[in-house]
Order: sequence, then C-alpha cells, then structure tokens
Amino acid sequence: MGDGSKAKASESTDPDSGVLDAAEKTWRREVLEPALAERGERQDEFVTQQMHWPVKDLYTPGDLAAIGFDYQKDVGFPGQYPYTRGTNPAGYRQDLWTMLQVTGFGTATDSAERWSKMLDQGLNGFIIEYDLPTTNGYDSDHPLAEGEVARAGTAIDTLADMEQALELPWDKLQHLSSVCNAPQPVNLAMILAALEKRDIDPSSFTLQMSNAILIEYTCVGRYIYPPKHGLRIATDCIEYTIRNHSNWIPISVVSAQLYAARATPVQELAFGFAIAMEYLDATLARGFEIDEVAPYWSFITGLEMDFFEAIAKLRAYRKIWARLMRERYGAKTEEALRLRLMSSPGTTGLTLQQPLNNIARLGIQTLACALGGGAYAITTPLHDEAHALPSEEAVRVGIAVQNIVAHETGVADTVDPLAGSYLLESMTRRMEDEVFAEIEKIDAMGGALAAIESGYFQKELAHSQRERHREIEDGTRKQIGVNHLVQEDEKRSIEMFKLGQEAETRQVARLARVRADRDEELVAKTLERVREAATGDANLVPPILEAVKAYATQGEICDVMRDVFGVYHPDSLTSGV
Amino acid sequence: MAERKIRVLLAKLGLDSHTVGVTVIAGSLRDAGMEVIYTGLRQTPDMVVQAAIQEDVDVVGISSLSGAQMQHIPKVLDRLREEEADDKLVVVGGVIPDEDAEALRAAGVDKVFTMGARTGDIADYIREWWTERER
Repeated sequence: MGDGSKAKASESTDPDSGVLDAAEKTWRREVLEPALAERGERQDEFVTQQMHWPVKDLYTPGDLAAIGFDYQKDVGFPGQYPYTRGTNPAGYRQDLWTMLQVTGFGTATDSAERWSKMLDQGLNGFIIEYDLPTTNGYDSDHPLAEGEVARAGTAIDTLADMEQALELPWDKLQHLSSVCNAPQPVNLAMILAALEKRDIDPSSFTLQMSNAILIEYTCVGRYIYPPKHGLRIATDCIEYTIRNHSNWIPISVVSAQLYAARATPVQELAFGFAIAMEYLDATLARGFEIDEVAPYWSFITGLEMDFFEAIAKLRAYRKIWARLMRERYGAKTEEALRLRLMSSPGTTGLTLQQPLNNIARLGIQTLACALGGGAYAITTPLHDEAHALPSEEAVRVGIAVQNIVAHETGVADTVDPLAGSYLLESMTRRMEDEVFAEIEKIDAMGGALAAIESGYFQKELAHSQRERHREIEDGTRKQIGVNHLVQEDEKRSIEMFKLGQEAETRQVARLARVRADRDEELVAKTLERVREAATGDANLVPPILEAVKAYATQGEICDVMRDVFGVYHPDSLTSGV
Repeated sequence: MAERKIRVLLAKLGLDSHTVGVTVIAGSLRDAGMEVIYTGLRQTPDMVVQAAIQEDVDVVGISSLSGAQMQHIPKVLDRLREEEADDKLVVVGGVIPDEDAEALRAAGVDKVFTMGARTGDIADYIREWWTERER
C-alpha cells in the first residue's frame, strides 16, 4: 500500500487523486490514529509564526491538486517566468550569493579602515550605514546631532568626508550599497564627486542606493519633507541614475524595514510592492517605458525564524513581481520581469538574552535565504546587534556563518532544492493570493502615497507590533532565552563595540576646517541653483552635484529644500503611536 | 483622586527614530488604563520637559535605541530639577548597556528597562510607584 501511493505521488498531482485520497484515509485510520491513541499531538493547533496560518500534520500531492498547482505556470524553470525557482538559471552553481555586511561607524577615516579590512577578509562589498545626523539631513555641528555623530554609522557632512570614506581597495569591491533616504540626492552627488576626484570609473562596480523615502514615512521615521516632496526627490535620483549610470541601482524598496517594524509577510510584500509601484509610476511619468526602468527596481528583505514561511516569502516575492510587471505594466523583457532581491537574516528575531544563541538563529536564517533561492546578495546582521553596535568579533562570525552555509551544507549545489515541496508550494500560493488581495485594497485607497498620508500603513504596522509583543509575552510565540529556557541569573558579558565622544569631536572639527577653507561665494551661488530647481521641476541632482563640489554641507543643501518644501510633522494618527 | 488616570509622557529624544518599542509600550500602558501622550520624534531635552509640565504628567518615559542615551537623558533630569518638576517618575527603555543603565540610575532615572522587559512589568512598576506615592 505504502509503495503504491508513493509511486503515484511522484507522478502526477491530479489524475489519480482519488486513489491517493483513499490511501491517505487508510493511513490516517490504520497508522496515524493508533499512533496517537495513547498520547495526542503536543499542541492543540499548529500555526505559522507570522501569518498564523494553520499548519496541517501532513502535506501530500493532494494539497497541490487542491490549489490546481501547475509546475510550468507556478514554478517554471530557474531564470524563467515566473522566477519562483530563482532569477539565475544556474542558481548558485555559477556564483554564490554576494556576501555583504552592514557597517559604518565613526568618521569616514575610521570606516574606510574597517571596510578595507572586511574586503581583505573576503567580502565582495558592503553596505554603508550613515549616522543619524547624516540620514536626517543635519550637519555634525547641528544641535540635534549632539551625541549621535559618528555613532550608528559613518558621519558624512561634506565631499571631503566622502572622499575619505571611499579610500578603499577598489580592485576587490564589486558592490557598494548606500543607505540614505531623505537626503539621497546629496548622498548620490557626494559619491559621484568623490569618484571623480579619485578618478574611479563609476561603471567598475555597482552602487545600490536605498533611496527608500516612502519606507521612512511608513515606519522608520527619518523623513524630512512632506511625503509627496519626498517622492519627487527620490524620483529625481532614479531618473538621473538611469540616464547617466545605467549599471547602478537607484532604488531599493527596503521592505526589510517593514519586516523590522514587525510587518507580517503579507503586509511586507503588499506594502512593499505598493510602494515600489508608486516610485515606478512617478518614474514612468518622466517619459520612460516600463522595460527601460523596471530592471532597476530592487528589494531588500529580512527573514524571520519561521523557516518555511521565510522561504515561501522569498519565492512569492519573485513570482508576484513578475506577475505585476507583466499583467499590470505590460513589461516584456526578462530584465524587467526578474526581481532583484537581496535578503538577510533579520534582526527582529535576535534576542538580547543569551546573545550567543543568535549565532544559531543567524545560521538558520542564512540557510533560509539560500534555500529561498536566487537572492543575489545576503547580508548577515551580527549576533550582538540586539545589544549595542556590533563588535569586530561579531563581524567575523557573520562572515563565517555565510561561508558555512555556502561551503559546508551543500544547499548551494543544486538549484532551488525545495521546489515541489507540497507544503512549500501550498504556502507560496497562499502568500501570493493574500498579497494580491491586500495590494488591491491599497489600490482602492489610491496607492501607497495615499495609504501613507492617511496613516493606513502606520496603523496596520502598529497593530502588528503590539500583536507580536503580546505573543512573546504570553508565550504563544516561544523565544529561547526570553520566554523559554530562561536563565534567571544571566549575566551578560559579550564584547561590545565602543566608540566614544572623541569621534564626534574630531568630526565637528573637521567640518569647521572644511567650512573655513571653501569659497563661500561659490557655495552661496550653487545653493541658489538648488533652490531654483526645488522651486521648479528640474531634476535636483545636477545642481546638488555642483553645490557638493563647492563643499556645501549636506545640512546646508537640505536646509534649502526644507525652506522650499517644508518639514513633515506627522500627527498622532499618522505616526501610529 | 484615586480614580484619576495615571498620565504618562512617552518621548523620543534627538534623532533616534526607532519607534517599535514606544508603539508597543504606548499600547500596553493604555491597555493598563493609563493616559499616554507621545511627543513624536526629534525632541530636545527642553521640549520633553516642557511637554511633561504642560501635560501635567506623572511619569516621563524615554525610549532610547540609538546609543545617545547618555547625551540626552541626564539633561532631561537636570531640566526637570530646574523646573522643580522632579517629582515625576522617570523611566527609560531601549538598548541600554549595563554601565549606562547604572550611570542613568545614578543620575536620577528611577528605572531602566532594557530590551526584553515585559510590558506588564513596566505597567506594574508604574502602578506600584503611583500607589506608594498616593499613600
């Protein structure tokens, strides 16, 4: 009996479903029920961690038949529509994913030193995180910047800092990501000007900009101007980059931030895609065709601990994008239909308690990233991130974790090894359906910008945040070291990265020197050009580039735009708190 | 008097914009029957103290996840003392290394809750302090 049903299972998903159904019923009656007769299952119900979808005891070909699963239509071949099995035809057999690490601290000099070391250790690229004054568009000597300068990332006030930051072993660098949203055009201009000064060919590497301002209004909070102006500025960067640096990535829908704000996978994908389409519509309005611009869109996501949900999420990402591009926008080229997706283990699953446990979590999540297939870059956060800013040891372990998954497990040796899993394909389909339903709901509100302006995204995320916290507190969601296997007398002793006031003092002094040495008349003149562009509808990047070259500070350039666009203050409803 | 709701001001200082913690705490304190006022982002110590006085709150809760806690929080305490408003309970929550937590308590913070603290414990702590004070 067992052999018979197995042969049928491997053959087809529907014609013999009657036979299979009967076999399963017999198995339940004659095998499973007696096995559970004395002791039932260990829980009354099993659900996925994030979506709370019921998890059945067993998945069979019958589950695929029930959803009308069609291999060619639902999964297809790697590198082909709908890209469920990955965007690269050869999976990781050709190239492993790019191994990245998010870092940035101190002054530009401190960071460049650390980044150079990381490249020497075998990373192909890295993600630059800036300090809070930089991402909020303030100079290091602004009163609000006090205590934050060079703390959570690198401090960049002027072109002089960026020149210093980009003193790197360029032969080893393939990929550079720059995480700067509200002041993105200034950041882009500084990178361009610094490359020019250093005589580095911009086409020798990929620059990926986050430029993710709509995410800032939704959940991160580092916004400056009202949302519609934020969107215009982001679109200026996209347009400029596509027209001038066609191998760069001018937009990343950092849906990882949604995930970090406790979005469920369905919220993450739906809000993320709605936001991506808002940028896309704005860019198309600048006179592009969909097939010209869609290839530039990229997503950065983070994974949760629920293994199959995480893998289903990555697969659904690629499939939904392909469908949206083809069905809604009429995209035709492979490049437009293929989603550029970077994934990383997420920090929300990391715990402050028993921090070394986080290494295990990172390993499992990195494995999910790899099995989710075709993520072209994986970043590993650091096991002590829940604690404070990452230590050097944590950086080393992060790199090691990625290499262990790549070289010791064999998961990278065949393309998309989990395809066809009864469970996973069922889950991927459910995710796809629910995301499309939520996208339609957002459409009815008028799209992502409208959903942000009305506070819908923020309210929904606040609900998820509270829900998640409640589950951890009442133990519905087990977290080791937090609500399970708690070590009452835990003494934390993990190494923590320290950076004192000294970096801030150095940075403020450096800024003063730059201000003293520059041509003030030229600064004023170039800033006036920025104002003219902001007031009208000319692209802001070229005049900002001129101002940057004159060593205008980031704060000065942003202030001109604050003047023109105004400053955003969400009310209690639109903040979600 | 006993029926009055405990009033709590939740504040984010400086450029720290991580709001998950403050969102969760706001919800749980409201669920625990307290009145919660949120300052929004990018507040200076002076703005927080002014808001605390104007809103006549009993408790000032400061959320800090960027690492700049030692920069801003002692200033809030100084300003509260200068305004003779230091009868308010001051609690801090977020990513706070042990040595900073100690320094903050020494500077006058009543209680520091680090990541992983139970929201119920925070509400209970505030409620116990309140009961003690009203006695």
